[in-house]
Amino acid sequence: MMALTRRQFVKASASGLAALGLARAGFWFAPSLPYASVKVANLANLEVGKPVYFSYPDARSQAVLVKLGTRAIGGVGPDRDVVAFSASCTHMGCPLQFKNGRFVCPCHYSMFDPAKNGEVYQGLATEFLPQIPLEVVPQSGDVFAKGVEGLIWGRVSNLLG
Amino acid sequence: MSLYNRRDELPIPPADAETHTTVCQYCNVGCGYNVYVWPVGRMGGKKPNENAFGVDLTQPQPPLTGLSYTESMHTTVTKKDGRQYHVVVVPARDSEINRGDYSTRGGTNALTAWSETRGTRERLKYPLLRVGDEFQVVSWKTAFQVLSGVIKGVLDRYGPEELTAKAFDHGGGGGGFENNYGVGSLFFTGLGMKYVAIHNRPAYNSEVWGSRDRGVHELNYSYEDARLADTIVLWGASTFETATVFYIEHMLNNFKGATVGEKKAAFAEGEPAEPARMVVIDPRKTSSVTIPQSIDASRVLHLRPNLGTDYVLANALARIIWEKGWHDESFIQTRTDLATFEDYKRKSLKLYQPLDEVLSEAETITGISREAMEKAAAWIAKPKAGGHLRRSLIIYEKGMIWNMKNYDQIASVVQLAVLTHNIGRPGTGCGRQGGHQEGYVRPPYPGDRPPPNVDKYIEEGHGKFYWVIGTDPYLSTPNSQYFKKRIHARTQALTEALSLHHGRGGEPGDPEALVERILEALDVTDGLFMVVQDLYLTHVARDAHLVLPAAGWGESDITSINCNSRLLRLYEKFMDPPGEAKPDWWIMAQTGLAIAQRYREEGREQDAKRFEFGKNWKTPEDVFLAGAREFPDNRVSEADEATLPAECYKGIDYAFLKKVKLKGIQTPVRIDPKTGKPVGTKRRYVYRFGTPDGKFKWYGTDDWEGYPEEVAKYFEGERKSRYPFWLTTGRSQLVWQTMYHDKYLPEKMLALPLPYVEIHPEDAKRLGVKSGDLVEVYNEEGNGNFMVYVSDSVKPGLIFAIMYHQRGSANNLVSGYTDPKTTIPWYKGTRVAVRKLSNGLPDLMQSASTRPVNDFE
Ligand code: SF4
Ligand code: FES
Repeated sequence: MMALTRRQFVKASASGLAALGLARAGFWFAPSLPYASVKVANLANLEVGKPVYFSYPDARSQAVLVKLGTRAIGGVGPDRDVVAFSASCTHMGCPLQFKNGRFVCPCHYSMFDPAKNGEVYQGLATEFLPQIPLEVVPQSGDVFAKGVEGLIWGRVSNLLG
Repeated sequence: MSLYNRRDELPIPPADAETHTTVCQYCNVGCGYNVYVWPVGRMGGKKPNENAFGVDLTQPQPPLTGLSYTESMHTTVTKKDGRQYHVVVVPARDSEINRGDYSTRGGTNALTAWSETRGTRERLKYPLLRVGDEFQVVSWKTAFQVLSGVIKGVLDRYGPEELTAKAFDHGGGGGGFENNYGVGSLFFTGLGMKYVAIHNRPAYNSEVWGSRDRGVHELNYSYEDARLADTIVLWGASTFETATVFYIEHMLNNFKGATVGEKKAAFAEGEPAEPARMVVIDPRKTSSVTIPQSIDASRVLHLRPNLGTDYVLANALARIIWEKGWHDESFIQTRTDLATFEDYKRKSLKLYQPLDEVLSEAETITGISREAMEKAAAWIAKPKAGGHLRRSLIIYEKGMIWNMKNYDQIASVVQLAVLTHNIGRPGTGCGRQGGHQEGYVRPPYPGDRPPPNVDKYIEEGHGKFYWVIGTDPYLSTPNSQYFKKRIHARTQALTEALSLHHGRGGEPGDPEALVERILEALDVTDGLFMVVQDLYLTHVARDAHLVLPAAGWGESDITSINCNSRLLRLYEKFMDPPGEAKPDWWIMAQTGLAIAQRYREEGREQDAKRFEFGKNWKTPEDVFLAGAREFPDNRVSEADEATLPAECYKGIDYAFLKKVKLKGIQTPVRIDPKTGKPVGTKRRYVYRFGTPDGKFKWYGTDDWEGYPEEVAKYFEGERKSRYPFWLTTGRSQLVWQTMYHDKYLPEKMLALPLPYVEIHPEDAKRLGVKSGDLVEVYNEEGNGNFMVYVSDSVKPGLIFAIMYHQRGSANNLVSGYTDPKTTIPWYKGTRVAVRKLSNGLPDLMQSASTRPVNDFE
């Protein structure tokens, strides 16, 4: 599991805000916040169907990356099948399980399809799972998390503070 | 990259935001919600004292126990003052039924609010009149002039038989006591109409006469009973998908053992208290079966009867119970009518026939093995260790209600419950789950029983006027393809006849002249004048002559009860309706007054008076209090609650409801003879049943007679191979009813873009179809195109279709059969053929998940 140190995180946020030039005054569609770019995996180490858990955008938010083996919306890598999401159920925040190619919530059985933008296709959740856009460095195969598209459950802003 | 607009930050309600309590506009569960409203431009802070939630938002909320405030729980609206406001609608924690929980449907309550900047901008804002075959905006004054002129003209010339309607009778969004009373006052007090159908069926009937005639209203248990039951029976109800929070918070917590402590406190000394068992009786293996199976399959029993045969199954279970002596003899002796019990023994228990013979017949008819029947009977009725009566809560819904032979189906289940004393004790009860919430109060319906089938009446050319309120029969009525064609032809006939100069000219511009022209045309053609009153321009509205914009949930105060506890609460107004939209009760009252004025102008004072029921209705509470007068004197003892209508709220006003907020009060409300104070009723029929002598009235069900002609025809000759599949229908977890709001929400339309069918893998192979493909399903009634989900939820030979969807309806395929005893259709059984139309459409294949919704492993 990888975690952002607090120092890295503060630095990332600060530079993001600086890039914006001023304090944010309104709301826009996600990703709208100065997210840090964080290395979360390397393509060479990924196995189909084996989830990699990491913290993003901060230490208190569990996220999950998985190589699906089939093309997915927002997928990266040669097969466009590597995707990442917040791992907190959008219903009431329980940690999700990746089982048989999709996410299942052990609390009230919401199910999310990782190939379809984290779509809720069963259960109590209303919102799709927030997807984490990824970027791959071609030379190294390093995979970076670049933001969060959708609100992480239990927050009024994806970036705490 | 997101498929729809997402947020990563949400506005925070400031500490002084306007707050309201309300109840979800959608399903029978009736989850409580808190609403926050404040002007755009202001924002609360993250510290607990800086926001209206009173919650520390600097920290992430703890899972399950924290505040759920998701993207879909916020919107902005414009009020009549011309300013924009933030609206936040979050599930309430101090609401016993949901305790902070919510479902995928209720989670979008905020998004359904009218907003000029989102899909809900499609809300109807002004009355629309078809002029020259196009809708034109008109004032309410013109609308009432035309409406009252046509109604009075038809009434005076032909009598009330030529006035027809179809209207909601439920609670929650689009209904409630106030709106129901408005509709009933005009239709019954004013117009004396008999040709009125209820929103989801073609007649004015109870869906559960089979229970009510026995002295048992269908809402008799309390949500606590789902926490206390030893066995929960779901009969023709997929409660996880259609009463989600009731299932999750109460039934499943009981199944998981989380309520054992509550059981110990409620049960008798030494009585065993264990996690519940579940018996699910449903031809489909739904999520309501597979979820508990994934926890402990040994405590789940799933029976999959052949379509239409449930009452035979219920009677067979009762017979097994009788033979084993698991019935409650002293209860039967003291609380039930022994004269009618003889009938039940003969016709339902079939005591004159040997047990083996009865059970082997039942096996053949239902397709359920004797062994499974015996297990179910034991789980429902076998006394627990120490001889304690088992506590079974038996909940049924549309699988039973919309079954073949509605009356006998419902009667057979409630009789099974009474035979075993599974009613009126903690942890028991026998009633319906509910679809909508309830909130019925009206003057009495003047028609007969069984009531006429209004669909057929109109199809046959009767009725000159048809008023559709808060329902979309083009999607929801049985045999709807024919219905649509007939309504279209008849409304079109009138439209054509309105043109002047032998059909070549315009239409009269003056409303009075237009009314005259309409009445003349109705006289000489088989034309139909149709009024549609709703939130949106629905499917049926496309053929309307007059469209009236109704106010929705949150736009006017309403009151309703939920189904699991009969919990009466106030649903507060938190925003203005769009444009000129008005609550249904107001529209009905004004129509009445407009008719009254016409009578008065003719000097017909007596006639005018009938239509002035709403002349003092200024506020929703005025209507609520007027409705209360329909209930009998409720100053009765606790035992005599059974004599009261289930929804009786006499003695309650809005001030009371504002005080108790989401705690509400459980109807029937009594005025305690000792204290003079209103008291609610937790559980019904503890002391007596709702019959004149207080005794339960038995009924001997019919013998199995096979399928009705409308379906039996598909087994004759060539049809047998031409229509090789059974079709049954139902709903999806994700959306509410016809999706009138959901169709504007990308979350819903992406996940459920088209009406769909579930096809078993073996059948799919034979048909050469896979998940995502499009198929046509057809029979001699009609046609429908659907997206395929290959699923083991259905058995080979059985196809399931979502009953309706904004983009099509399975009711096209449903026969016109209704139970002769009740005029309730058999929506859930017909025969069909299937052919492949195409492979999956690429954009849908990319965005819509086709993963199985009943597999949690
Ligand atoms: S379970 Fe029913 S009442 Fe509760 S939030 Fe969902 S739709 Fe609304
Ligand atoms: S927390 Fe995941 S379904 Fe409720």
